[in-house]
Amino acid sequence: MKRLLSILMIVVLIFSLVACGEKGGEVGENGEKPLKIALLLNGTLGDKSFFDSSNRGLEMAKEKFGDKIEFKPVEMTTDETKWKPTLYDYCDDGSWDVIIAGTWQMVEPLEEVAPKYPDQKFILFDDTMNYDGGAFPNVYSILFKQNEVSFLAGALAARITTSEDMEKVNPADKIIGFLGGTENTTIDDFLIGYIEGAKYIEEDIKVVISFVGNFYDTPKGKDLALAQYQQNGVDIGFNVAGLAGLGQIDAAVDVDKYAIGVDSDQAVIMGEPKANYIPASALKNVDNAILRAVSLELEGKLEYGKNESLGIKEGGVAISDNEYYQKIVPQTIRDEIAELSDKIENGEIKVDTAFGKTPQEIQDIKDSVR
Amino acid sequence: MQSVFNIIFSPDFFYDVLRVTTPILFATLAATVASRSGIFNIALEGIMLIAALVGVIFSAYFSSAWLGLLFALISGGLVGLFLGFLVLKLKTDAILAGIAINLMAAGGTIFLLYIISGDRGVSSSIKSLVLPKFPLPVIKNIPIIGTILSMQNILTYVVLLSVIVIHILLYKTPLGLKIRAVGENPNAAESVGINVHKIQYIAVTISGILAAFGGAFLSMGYLSMFSNGMTAGRGFIGLAADAMGGSTPIGALLVSLLFGIADSMGNVIQTGIKIPYEIVQMLPYITTIVGLAIFSYSKKKQIEKLKSK
Repeated sequence: MKRLLSILMIVVLIFSLVACGEKGGEVGENGEKPLKIALLLNGTLGDKSFFDSSNRGLEMAKEKFGDKIEFKPVEMTTDETKWKPTLYDYCDDGSWDVIIAGTWQMVEPLEEVAPKYPDQKFILFDDTMNYDGGAFPNVYSILFKQNEVSFLAGALAARITTSEDMEKVNPADKIIGFLGGTENTTIDDFLIGYIEGAKYIEEDIKVVISFVGNFYDTPKGKDLALAQYQQNGVDIGFNVAGLAGLGQIDAAVDVDKYAIGVDSDQAVIMGEPKANYIPASALKNVDNAILRAVSLELEGKLEYGKNESLGIKEGGVAISDNEYYQKIVPQTIRDEIAELSDKIENGEIKVDTAFGKTPQEIQDIKDSVR
Repeated sequence: MQSVFNIIFSPDFFYDVLRVTTPILFATLAATVASRSGIFNIALEGIMLIAALVGVIFSAYFSSAWLGLLFALISGGLVGLFLGFLVLKLKTDAILAGIAINLMAAGGTIFLLYIISGDRGVSSSIKSLVLPKFPLPVIKNIPIIGTILSMQNILTYVVLLSVIVIHILLYKTPLGLKIRAVGENPNAAESVGINVHKIQYIAVTISGILAAFGGAFLSMGYLSMFSNGMTAGRGFIGLAADAMGGSTPIGALLVSLLFGIADSMGNVIQTGIKIPYEIVQMLPYITTIVGLAIFSYSKKKQIEKLKSK
């Protein structure tokens, strides 16, 4: 009996092995082989922000190109120990034409994995690799010019805080707020654009800057925002702190002030009644960027080994235009913001960036609006 | 610099301190009750997170903030009881059981939120309610104290009352005496006929309910929503504050206030004084460590003094 069982076991094992081998072969035999894309998310879907947006980009591509592409979103969760192994798994599998990953946290895993699989193509969004000396010829990276959209957010905030026709502001003092998560180059890039945009409108504006220290402590985000609104006389703030930044919106509702959202349209996320306190959000259109990259890839024109920065011109970033923007912000200000957006698009205004700046230079810019 | 001092010495600042202190003080009292009974309740963080979500869900379901709070407290009590079951009945190590509950809460709350609302980050699509803020009758007319104490969230008053209630419970009631006896020496307690496990079950349930108050406050008072990971270490701070306060309710109050002051001060200093924000953010923790060092040093001196007698 025992012997029979073990023979049976061996037979089953062999069959399953053969079955696996065959499956691998089948894919290659297909005449029209679709472009297979794996989207490795270092979080989960349902964040109503970056990860949902990247998935939407692929859905848009699927709609546009139909059978030509095939994609699979993989939720690696926020457990960092899973990121590298998953990356290795999908590279080893070999059947995926393109692997997409995003955010600054995936740079380090990619730095390790990408050189080991020179034939595997990678797309990285919202950060870049160090391409010096022809490194990473198989990685295409997408940066968003958050400084451009922040410029508009800063200009909008400066206009709103000095506006005579808006109910929630004190036009006498020119003070606006900024709530960041942790201080890194991307967040500094937001901040520098914001400061420059605000100064473009009001030369002597003051910007109150606070950092939460992480991207998830929402109560702390609220405390910091309340301190800005109540004790520093801020009328409108800009949050760039992920979930923690949502605390600023809660604070704005409590003290009847304004908050500007980030990454995705936070007025839509928060819904009524909180949306009435969010005149606009600085959007990063990850979906557009992914769709664009996939289209280029299908045409064989995507340039690996390079970074591309998508700004207002390329549709990579924008100020959200929704009913609340129309309702809260007066027409004259909206016209002016649209005009500034055009000026950035045609290169008339060149927005400063934090990339390539020393910490001291960034500090000097911050000190200039204290 | 001048403005920072003006802010820190204003009554509004101390109003904020009380708000910041409330969840930490709940967690500290929860830690106090549990550790007095001899169980180290490291699951506070997870209990707070669960209660924060449960409060939001049920307040929306019943359109009543009070019922939301009630269910949050029940959930906290049940998780406390569950910890007791793991530790007392199944003989698990309390630390391991606590870590397991914390991990389960971190993942489980996201899972539950997703099932109910389709979101994994914030509960903004659930129309949850907030517990009211209240003016205190006579006190509101006293100049400075009125500004600080009046118009706080109801749970801020509850936590201040809890300090007194827990103090009375521990030192003036038979149950408190039993809790302390069990925590001090379970064998001795058993030898005089105390049902050790029953007392520990009661203590760990009370601890869960207190932590649940803190969690519910976060999502239904402090903020008007649940967000993933929103407790952000407040449960662990409560454990540290309990150790520092010598596991007494009055000590819990003082240490939590110290922590709240340091934290609020950090919020103000960030905007006013030119030092890196990372250093400012260390302030509450540095205060805690320094306080802990002073406390253990004085305790050591005390013991030496007793020994030399």
